[in-house]
Amino acid sequence: MGRFVPKCVLIDLSGTVHIENSIVAGAARAIDRIRKSGISFRFVTNSSKESVASLFTRLVGLGVNLSPGDLFTSLTATKQYVLRRKCRPMLFLEENAQQDFKDVSVVDPNSVVIGLAPSMFNYEKLTEAFNCLKNAENAELIAINKSRYLQRQHGLVLGGGAFVAALEYSTGLTATVVGKPSRKFFEQSIADFEGVVVEDCIMIGDDVQDDVAGAQAIGMKGILVQTGKYRPGDETKINPAPYLTLPSLVDAIDHVIELHSNGCET
Amino acid sequence: MKIYFFRTKNQPIMSWCEGVKGVLLDVTGVLYNSGPTGGAAIEGSIDAIQRLKTSHIPFKLCSNESTETRANFAAKLTKHGFNITSDDIVCPVPAMVDLLKQENLRPHLLVHPDVLPEFASISTENPNCVVMGDCNTHFTYSAMNAAFNTLLSMSPKDRKLYSMGGGKYYKDGDDLVLDVGAYAKALEYACDCKMVVCGKPNKLFYDQAIRLLGVNIEDCVMIGDDIISDVGGAQALGMKGVQVRTGKYRAVFDEPHSEITPDGYVDNLAEAVDLLLSNN
Repeated sequence: MGRFVPKCVLIDLSGTVHIENSIVAGAARAIDRIRKSGISFRFVTNSSKESVASLFTRLVGLGVNLSPGDLFTSLTATKQYVLRRKCRPMLFLEENAQQDFKDVSVVDPNSVVIGLAPSMFNYEKLTEAFNCLKNAENAELIAINKSRYLQRQHGLVLGGGAFVAALEYSTGLTATVVGKPSRKFFEQSIADFEGVVVEDCIMIGDDVQDDVAGAQAIGMKGILVQTGKYRPGDETKINPAPYLTLPSLVDAIDHVIELHSNGCET
Repeated sequence: MKIYFFRTKNQPIMSWCEGVKGVLLDVTGVLYNSGPTGGAAIEGSIDAIQRLKTSHIPFKLCSNESTETRANFAAKLTKHGFNITSDDIVCPVPAMVDLLKQENLRPHLLVHPDVLPEFASISTENPNCVVMGDCNTHFTYSAMNAAFNTLLSMSPKDRKLYSMGGGKYYKDGDDLVLDVGAYAKALEYACDCKMVVCGKPNKLFYDQAIRLLGVNIEDCVMIGDDIISDVGGAQALGMKGVQVRTGKYRAVFDEPHSEITPDGYVDNLAEAVDLLLSNN
């Protein structure tokens, strides 16, 4: 038995802080509260549809008070991975997101980097990616995330993960998944916080698999929020169950601040 | 008096053609080879089909083709010189239609527009399953999302996803292109359900072909160029499986094959039909 006092909170963005261009009610003020509380925090996102700069501008426009250093994105982590591995990727990404790969060589591609690219999820582009992987020696399929689906204003749509699964099936390759729920991604996201280990962290998100199960698998606590892509019953899909399931980010942050002051028995 | 059975040197110990009462034939690589300009008939196959047709042995062509109707497929074969009508062909589409009727299913159809007419007798209102076929250029994000939302609206244990064939990719002219199996996998992953393949080498599909032949499964032979799906698939269900040395057959991989031992190898369809007719 010990006391758990969270030192760091990781917060998902899409579906948790905002849904496309509308902010979740009370989210901006909740984020201000966490900033004042002195708890380390970072927004960890699997976003792959737009460049980090464009995402940042959009969040500020929605009224979220944040600085670029508060963001840790799978797009940035993927670029670091590609540079480290010296890959020449075919960028299966929307033009806006491709801007983050400006200084990466894409000539004579030997790998595919795939993210959320609605304008490319079609027969022609998938076949092109398939042939790229089939023809290259030691080809690597790099998934920015393996998201099953996501919430859009008019309902749910397939995420990039579905098309990653399609390419895996046809090529016989297993994708390298860079973003959540990869252990490395969570670890990198807290690397800047001195003295913070995974056991000190709480992850808040609307994706029961990638956010909650992913975080809990490496020793963090996971709070599932009932916004965004959440659907009734999601909390029963994983074992162990989420540490908590709460209506929204506002309740989740209230809980984290309360724990930070008082702690809880573990 | 003792009766001895002698076999000539070239005959296998147990000839695969003895007692065969019905024949299933793969099409591509057995009757003709596909190609950018429509392909070409394999030597001897046109005549072999004609001889089979005038014999007493019933046969069906068994194909996983799902982008065109049987009538169009038959017309294509007729153009190559084959005496074939749509009744001679068993494709996943009619098998799928039968299955939908039997199980009282109302599909959300993600199929090629050219085969939609074959589903005309099936209600698609308030769908309770998703049926996919090869759509090639009609696989768009919005079409995939529509099928995805239909599946997701069902409770997890009731999600039914049928795929007419589970192929990974195929050769279209000189290009390799993704087959329907890849798109079915995408939905499988997103909806956390398992697809049911309606097509070779699935039992439901072969059962349908055999029902049409009107013979017992163990009296049937499947002749094909795909050692896994045609030969191995047929054998797994209790049929005989015979490998032709045409189409995608490659001696280094297929004779002998690491896992599958066909009941026989023949040079081409013509030799298979010669053996069948002389032994029955």
